[in-house]
Amino acid sequence: MGPENSNKANNYPRPTAPFVPPQTNSPFTSSRPVIGSQPSPFTPTSAPTPPTTSPSYPPGPVSGSSGPAFRPVQTGRPTPPYGPPTSGPFQRFPTQPFPLSSQPPPPHTSPVVQPISSPITRPPPSQFPPMSNFQNRQPPIPTMPVNGVPSSINGPPMQQPPPSIGSTHPAVRPAQTSTWPGYPGVQTSSAAPVSNQGGYVAPPPTSSVPFSSHQVGYGPTPPVASPLGMYGGPTPPTGGMAGLVEDFSSLSIGSMPGSYDAGLDTKVLPRPLEGDVEPTSFAQMYPMNCNSRYLRLTTSAIPNSQSLVSRWHLPLGAVVCPLAESPEGEEVPVINFATTGIVRCRRCRTYVNPYVTFTDGGRKWRCNICALLNDVQNDYFASLDSNGRRVDLDQHPELTKGCVEFVAPAEYMVRPPMPPLYFFLIDVSIYSVKSGMLEVIAETIKSCLDKLPGSTRTQIGFITFDSTIHFYNMKSSLTQPQMMVVSDLDDIFIPLPDDLLVNLSESRTVVDAFLDSLPSMFQDNLNVESAFGPALKAAFMVMSQLGGKLLIFQSTLPSLGVGRLRLRGDDIRAYGTDKENALRIPEDPFYKQMAADFTKFQVAVNVYAFSDKYTDIASLGTLAKYTGGQVYYYPSFQAAIHKDKLRHELARDLTRETAWEAVMRIRCGKGVRFTSYHGNFMLRSTDLLALPAVDCDKAYAMQFALEETLLTTQIVYFQVALLHTSSSGERRIRVHTAAASVVADLGEMYRQADTGAIVSLLGRLAIEKSLSYKLEEARNAIQLRIVKALKEYRNLYAVQHRVGTRMIYPESLKYLPLYGLALTKSTALRGGYADSQLDERCAAGFTMMALPVKKMLKLLYPSLLRVDGYLLESSMKADVFEKVCKRLPLAAESLDSRGIYIYDDGFRLVVWFGQMLSPDVFRNLVGEDLATDFSRVSLVRDNEMSRKLMDILKKLRGADASYYPLCHLVRQGEQPREGYLLLSNLVEDQVGGMNSYVDWILQIHRQVQQ
Amino acid sequence: MCCIYIRESLHTEEKEVRDGGDTCMATVLLHPHSSPCCRCLSDLEFDYINPYDSASRINFVILPEFITQGVLCLIYLLTGHWMMFLLSLPYLYYNVRLYTRNQHLVDVTEIFNQLNWEKKQRLFKLGYLIFLLFITLFWMIYNALEDDEM
Repeated sequence: MGPENSNKANNYPRPTAPFVPPQTNSPFTSSRPVIGSQPSPFTPTSAPTPPTTSPSYPPGPVSGSSGPAFRPVQTGRPTPPYGPPTSGPFQRFPTQPFPLSSQPPPPHTSPVVQPISSPITRPPPSQFPPMSNFQNRQPPIPTMPVNGVPSSINGPPMQQPPPSIGSTHPAVRPAQTSTWPGYPGVQTSSAAPVSNQGGYVAPPPTSSVPFSSHQVGYGPTPPVASPLGMYGGPTPPTGGMAGLVEDFSSLSIGSMPGSYDAGLDTKVLPRPLEGDVEPTSFAQMYPMNCNSRYLRLTTSAIPNSQSLVSRWHLPLGAVVCPLAESPEGEEVPVINFATTGIVRCRRCRTYVNPYVTFTDGGRKWRCNICALLNDVQNDYFASLDSNGRRVDLDQHPELTKGCVEFVAPAEYMVRPPMPPLYFFLIDVSIYSVKSGMLEVIAETIKSCLDKLPGSTRTQIGFITFDSTIHFYNMKSSLTQPQMMVVSDLDDIFIPLPDDLLVNLSESRTVVDAFLDSLPSMFQDNLNVESAFGPALKAAFMVMSQLGGKLLIFQSTLPSLGVGRLRLRGDDIRAYGTDKENALRIPEDPFYKQMAADFTKFQVAVNVYAFSDKYTDIASLGTLAKYTGGQVYYYPSFQAAIHKDKLRHELARDLTRETAWEAVMRIRCGKGVRFTSYHGNFMLRSTDLLALPAVDCDKAYAMQFALEETLLTTQIVYFQVALLHTSSSGERRIRVHTAAASVVADLGEMYRQADTGAIVSLLGRLAIEKSLSYKLEEARNAIQLRIVKALKEYRNLYAVQHRVGTRMIYPESLKYLPLYGLALTKSTALRGGYADSQLDERCAAGFTMMALPVKKMLKLLYPSLLRVDGYLLESSMKADVFEKVCKRLPLAAESLDSRGIYIYDDGFRLVVWFGQMLSPDVFRNLVGEDLATDFSRVSLVRDNEMSRKLMDILKKLRGADASYYPLCHLVRQGEQPREGYLLLSNLVEDQVGGMNSYVDWILQIHRQVQQ
Repeated sequence: MCCIYIRESLHTEEKEVRDGGDTCMATVLLHPHSSPCCRCLSDLEFDYINPYDSASRINFVILPEFITQGVLCLIYLLTGHWMMFLLSLPYLYYNVRLYTRNQHLVDVTEIFNQLNWEKKQRLFKLGYLIFLLFITLFWMIYNALEDDEM
């Protein structure tokens, strides 16, 4: 909101995150006098503070609430030094000796901080981590840059270079080199003066210190080295590079002596081998923000002008996962404003959050989003203490935490909260029976009945269908379910007004009896037809009273009645023409219409498809797409192979915590507006997402735009509100609040970019594009965006620095090209007709549209682990597994024919056995016969090594419960299984006409330079 | 409009004028189809109406609009107004193309994503119709005056 505020936040040393949010401001509030005593631009601010706010700035020690810290902004904003920075963020505070967030604080700052710190210990210790903590943490700060997180504000400490900076670097070195083992390797002709600023261009081998950009950013500017900064020689660099060098990373590209190829060493390319590294600077700047698992912005520096937006070529938006699973001990607090009613802003309807400020002795509060002054209801009133903090702050989690859940009173309901409702629509035609699907699902549903959320309120119902539709009367007074067959498909009617949908606890015995007899009931069914459309309509009629979750199990192409589909997609000529995309959208408008109707009546549809032949997932998936559901696809389902996967995923679907009849809205500050939404939901109005059912495995992406040409605020707030009915039957509102600073500098936007969120959004945009354009165009769009972004970034620095032929990119986006490449090679977007089955492509597309960020990144750049060393070493304990088995680059080069590798993308595990693997190991793991058919072999054997391998697989599966990765075994050279299971997924290799990583980088680099 | 038509036709039985009047009427008939759609779409944007109602209202008038437009073109053709026919031909082509691709109806699930485009398209159509109306009127009055002078 105000300039001071952001400064204060920056001022706050990084490792002190444990502070309870509101108090974080306090040091800065109280530090005001200290700052004021210096010739700093802050002085004027305290002076013009209007009388109302003045009490909140007693010169003495303050333990401020969020209120006072933010308040001056509204009044004292106009101080000139805070005007839009011209180039670097640090220039905003030209005379500020204060360390910015992630810099090693110059020594003289600690005296400044210390006086502040002592008063801080006065508030109750329960809220305030002792200040000694604060101080103790200071010494490690200089090494903070090691963490490799691009600092939020990266200006070099202007005045006092820490004398120890030279010694910091050696300390840094091991961490860096171990992380990027290959980096020091490259030596190229581009030994330009600045060649070392990036992490990836290393000087000749002797000086093995690749200074990564962010470190460089902290370096002081000793006059000695600044003129040249030549750093190619073996002489260890002084901090000299720092002054010259901006914080970007670079790759040397161009032929070098002794190398025959394009001059790019594959080893130096950045790879996300640590998985998803979230930028932490954001969370540290605004510790009261909700956790990044709920909300991630593509860049946490919001551009302040349209022109800046147009120069940021990547998507500008957020990825929201409103119900993400929180780890133990971090449960979302539930707040019940029983008497008060939920406290919201009168005008913009923002929920009360940690960033609102209380004034007027606690009688008014100012909305942080629209700045309206609201009255505090009597019940909610608490007086402010001398620092302007509410005295009862510790009893109000909604004022200290960015993520809370409110219990909603009756005015948030249009009808009584619905019970959890599960309805099953099961295809019982011949293929379902023969593949064993029917048996597995009957078994799984039965085993989950006790664990369904909602205890005694849960409702359940079944319809089965082949060429006719079978209804089941489950009335609790019956002992056996009654089956009613409707064969008139043109005019669907429901044979019973109720009892098709029953309360589970009352009719438990009937349901059990039904599930027991279901597989045997149809075991001789030879019907091959599928009256899917009419059955869907029947299910809709049954469910439309209440809403709920509809699980569809479909194993053939719908062939009868309304909504029948025809075989398509086998026409190879359609690919590459304008008609190509028509294959990826529903053929029959019936499906879209049904989806819209389902959403209207609060029904979420999950589609399970099992066929070995074409089932038109594009059409069926539409039902899931617009109802907030999910598509599960098991091509060529065979119970013997896929049983565990189906069982796990169905059980997860049935038992995970689900929020019902939900709507979600994201609000943001003035001047910013959300323009488009991407994911599985239906828009009910321009900014309201209708989500009949939401759970922790669903994420939604959205893009925003600036409404005004110039943003005048200094902070933009985002608030995600999800109004839902919990399984326990309570209406609740989950609220996530986050703040992000507004910047005027493009470099800062790049520095604070979040690759994960960007890739997630880019992927969703590309998949949406593939629905109306050719795949080729969707892929090109990704490439173009990356090229434009890097080009803009290059222009930003090319003038100041001689970047030569090197490729430069921000540290925060170092993985972006690789993820972009992985996107173009993902199942949903890769190749053409032959590269993946149409159904698989569509199913992957639907899945990717709903994936949370981490899961998406895992899918795009799966992990590849070499495990034979670990298996052979008998003494090793299971807990050293992570240390022994490091992730390897996803290239065929990483595969050694003497080893065993596990490939894990979160959806499947592939265990790859090298050809030269020792026979002993082989025998221990897969048995005697070398010629065994690997698609059928089982890994479970009674010996140490096999048990160890099973432990590894279990551990990998346990990392994320949302899907069950099925394990495939494959032997080197075993075609075609090796090809489609593993080789085609090695992202960095050249597969089927798609670029390899090196080619891709070269291509992007060429285009950037044009 | 009708008044002009009647008065003019009282003055003369000249065929030209009557035809001008007919086409005038047809053009006028088209207007009610475009403007409510626009209003519906902007209501939707400001959340005065839900997408389901909005889509069904808009879809209700789309086919009549296409048919009326086709009839108008036919009248132009039959009465030998070649210029007018050519002028309205692109509109007809666009409608036919939408219809054959099955894109003529508003999709309730995607209505918000298509909102801007739909609005633009309808405003453009409206402008086009107003232009046609203007030309027709001009033509009719011009003829009538000429007849008077004779």
